Amino acid sequence: MSVTTESANHGPGAPRPAPRANRLVSTRAGGEMVRNYWDNLFTARERGATVVWYNGAAINPILQAAGVEWCHGEAFGARLAAMHLEEPAQQEGEAYGYINELCSYARTTLGCALLTRKEASRRVEVDQAPGVPDKEVLAARLPPPDLFVNAYAGCSTGQQWDEISYRLFDKQLPFFKVSYPLLWGNKPDAGYLRGEEWDNASKYVAGQLYNLIEFLEHQTGNKFDWEGLRESMHYIKRAAQLRLDALELCKARPTPAVFWDWVASIAPINFLPGNQALVDYFQGVKTEIEQRLEQGVSALPNERYRLAFDGIMNWNKVGWLANKFAEHDAAVVCGRYTHNSFWHEPQLIDEDDPILGMAQHYLLCPFNHSAQNLAEQVLGDCETYGIEGIVFHATRTCRSATNGQLVLAKMAQQRGLQTMFFEGDVADESFYKDEILQSRLEAMLETIDVQRTRLS
Amino acid sequence: MEQAAEIEEIIGSLARIAECPSDYAADWESRTGGKVVGILPMNFPAEIVHAAGALPVIVQEDDAAISYGRSLLHEFYCGYTRSLVDQAATGKLACYDGIFLVDHCVALLGAVDAIRFELPDTPVFLAQFTASMDETTTRPQIAGRIGELRQRLEELCGEPITDDAIHRSIAAYNRNRGLLRRVYEMRRAGRIALSGRQMQALVKSAMVMDVEEHSARMARLLSLLEAQPPAPSAKVKLHLSGHFCHAPRPELFDMIESCDVTVVDDDIYTGYRFISTDVPDHADPVEALTGWYFARNNNVPCSTRAQKTVDWESYLGQALENTGAQGVIVLVPKFCEPHMLYYPELRKEFHRRGIPHLLIETEHEGLALEMLKTRVEALVEVIRRPAVIREPA
Ligand code: SF4
Ligand code: SF4
Repeated sequence: MSVTTESANHGPGAPRPAPRANRLVSTRAGGEMVRNYWDNLFTARERGATVVWYNGAAINPILQAAGVEWCHGEAFGARLAAMHLEEPAQQEGEAYGYINELCSYARTTLGCALLTRKEASRRVEVDQAPGVPDKEVLAARLPPPDLFVNAYAGCSTGQQWDEISYRLFDKQLPFFKVSYPLLWGNKPDAGYLRGEEWDNASKYVAGQLYNLIEFLEHQTGNKFDWEGLRESMHYIKRAAQLRLDALELCKARPTPAVFWDWVASIAPINFLPGNQALVDYFQGVKTEIEQRLEQGVSALPNERYRLAFDGIMNWNKVGWLANKFAEHDAAVVCGRYTHNSFWHEPQLIDEDDPILGMAQHYLLCPFNHSAQNLAEQVLGDCETYGIEGIVFHATRTCRSATNGQLVLAKMAQQRGLQTMFFEGDVADESFYKDEILQSRLEAMLETIDVQRTRLS
Repeated sequence: MEQAAEIEEIIGSLARIAECPSDYAADWESRTGGKVVGILPMNFPAEIVHAAGALPVIVQEDDAAISYGRSLLHEFYCGYTRSLVDQAATGKLACYDGIFLVDHCVALLGAVDAIRFELPDTPVFLAQFTASMDETTTRPQIAGRIGELRQRLEELCGEPITDDAIHRSIAAYNRNRGLLRRVYEMRRAGRIALSGRQMQALVKSAMVMDVEEHSARMARLLSLLEAQPPAPSAKVKLHLSGHFCHAPRPELFDMIESCDVTVVDDDIYTGYRFISTDVPDHADPVEALTGWYFARNNNVPCSTRAQKTVDWESYLGQALENTGAQGVIVLVPKFCEPHMLYYPELRKEFHRRGIPHLLIETEHEGLALEMLKTRVEALVEVIRRPAVIREPA
């Protein structure tokens, strides 16, 4: 095998398992692009840029065409958690009064807002501030906002969180909210990408996006760059198609890449600018996968099980989980968070008139569906990728990601799939219980073995 | 019957109905032959169900321990949503001909989806109201959703819902809210000494009973209460805040009041929040109900809504000034996201105004009343002797 093996992130004091996840190398370029993006954003103030803080859907192409710089709150919260640097922000949030059962994304990012505010009021460069602990530095580095936009589908907390951010900055800053109906399905014709409710919701959100553009024009004094929007959506559509093509290649047995590789590609597709570099990145990922297929290189040295992962990411544990599953020869081939999200229906985007297709993608947030819709997508993917069992991440503080999971599990079982749940959290390590994951995973894999014996 | 005894009797009968809404619903159904529609908190315009000739019943939390519901909803959901799902899984929602809701709390949506899965033969209808109150697109969206509700209820009940019928229902509910508000005014003014348990029975029963029947009993109760001598209290005056969607356990009120406390006001859902606002006059009844949605949040702001122009904490500060309440007990149902997210804003305001407060998290599985009592006593101590400690929470 010629491909470099990447080691995992470990929790402090945890035993180090043999690193066996054969992660894609091409995704490292994405890591670099994301780092550069944040570094650039941290200097926005010095460069005199207007900064928008936003949460939820990938409205960054709109913000880019409005001539502002964008700071995605959750993305920063996820980044801190993935780097194990979330603690200062969460402590700040706790001191402010947040109970630890509250969404840990919100707690982290609101903690960052508090730290950012503190830094702004000290009017000093954070890096030179005496007495600021190292870990706190990154959490406090967000440039203070000039505007807020909330665009959170599928979760009332996501919407209310920005209502609080707005208050943390003394209700002084302009603030616009885009609201999304849940894709619920009251009517018999309702379903994934179809029915009257889908059409109405799409139009409702598209209308709000036009209003958002007016708001941005009004607040910034910049004329909205429609041609710029069309251009970035052109690149995003191409990048999204390449990502889908690459995902599709993972139908192969053994799979050349796994869910954890796709997790590494979330940030680039979620908030980096739509440009040739983004297309090149996903071309690189696809090419590496094609090469792996040609050379017979697989994601796991010995793939014995094919699983799906349901739920939002456990950002503290990405590397850890990647190796945990690899140790058991369990290839997590697909997941709701990676496969049913992030510009994953690029055919909906009309490059000449992209707003409706964008609105539709925002509605297609993987947590904005009824259980029935979820079953259509997730169980459909299980069939496509030859999945034998679903691992559900019961995300302690994210009711949005856990809505419908138990129902979905029942539906999966009816189709003969094995299911298991483990507890963890999106950005709070304390809720993760390794023993539970370990024992339940082993039990599920044993059941799959028994099932195979029966069938053979 | 003596007046005091009659007061007890009326409140007792309302409490019994509130405790067992399904018995009342079954009785109502057999008396009238109408449909019973389960509606969910906190913004549902019950008037539209009433106008359809059906009985709107706000589905209450059930005291039973969660059993089968565990396999449908994770344990880290609020007690109300877990109870709803458990009631569905144990056949306790069978008395409803349909379940209707308009709210979008993430936990509630998850619960209702599980109910829909568990009860495939029960119509379950979500007319999701946009929670952001500030954008120009919201008002027409709410009006459209109310129109959908109207259509769906017409289908369920088999009769068109006329504008006149909605107007009549609005008048009936406005009257009922007005009667309940009158009791609240008397409590604030120290004219009556009803306990928290009793006040809850009045509001909870309004959530489940036929509105005219409830109003008839309330009107009689009011005339009796008004004839009573004033009941000023020398106890520490507190305001109860929070507790969305479902009723706090009455034992909790009993315990609080046993600590030399009188509750003078509240903004809990099974309390003043529910009755705060009448549906405004408007020739178009759908517009009127739409206006109500906005007016309520202006009157008693709720952190499940997103509105830049109002603040729960400012409302609370004003409410305390009006009633002379000396402190606040904030009741948060465990895992209630919108409340957890907003609590620090309340706390900040309490600190700014020097208002002593206590945070109590409630759970479906029961309360450690003895332990909580110590904390309430500490709060009372702080209020009585302000120099002792400032922050009992
Ligand atoms: S609860 Fe989940 S979906 Fe909602 S804001 Fe938090 S992380 Fe996002
Ligand atoms: S608002 Fe709070 S109590 Fe009501 S359903 Fe949502 S989480 Fe539960």
